[in-house]
Amino acid sequence: METLYKIIGIAIVTCIACFVVKPIRADFATIISIVGGVLVLIYSMSYLSDVFGLFGNIFHITGINTSIYSVVFKVIGIGYLTEFTASICTDTGNASLADKVLLGGKLIILVMALPIVKSILNIVVELLP
Amino acid sequence: MDVDIIFKIASIGILTAVIGQILKNSGKDDISTLATLAGVVIVLFMVVGLIADLFSSIKTMFSFASLLL
Repeated sequence: METLYKIIGIAIVTCIACFVVKPIRADFATIISIVGGVLVLIYSMSYLSDVFGLFGNIFHITGINTSIYSVVFKVIGIGYLTEFTASICTDTGNASLADKVLLGGKLIILVMALPIVKSILNIVVELLP
Repeated sequence: MDVDIIFKIASIGILTAVIGQILKNSGKDDISTLATLAGVVIVLFMVVGLIADLFSSIKTMFSFASLLL
């Protein structure tokens, strides 16, 4: 729970720092907001590792071929990073760049998901009489 | 690696603004632009270092995850 307090504290302090510095220097305000976002992400990373540990056990139990699940983890990572970059782009004001980053991330995820679709189709074809 | 980095950046920003103003009023305009530029560069180095930490922790996280499977 205390990580949550830390995250909340950092977020509030970042907002206040941005507010204070904005009239003095506008560019530093956006830099401070980006740094605050990065700090919150770093602290929330520790929870991500617990989730991966849990998922790993579950996947072992199901016994299905694990290459599919590593793609799931990669997709989570890609989503994580593209969302991070897109929010930085919108913060600094160029929203069109953020959309392009999101588009690129979606395309990469699509390309990575294709082998899974193929393996599912193979399974379905085998089931047919 | 806590809230102090935010205060550091804010203080650098305010400091560069003040120094820029002082230099500008004392007639040395070119040095004041250099001073503000130096402040921005220092802050960017700090931010780049922080983002490098974030990406390295993400990489260890996912290498740990793929190791797990």
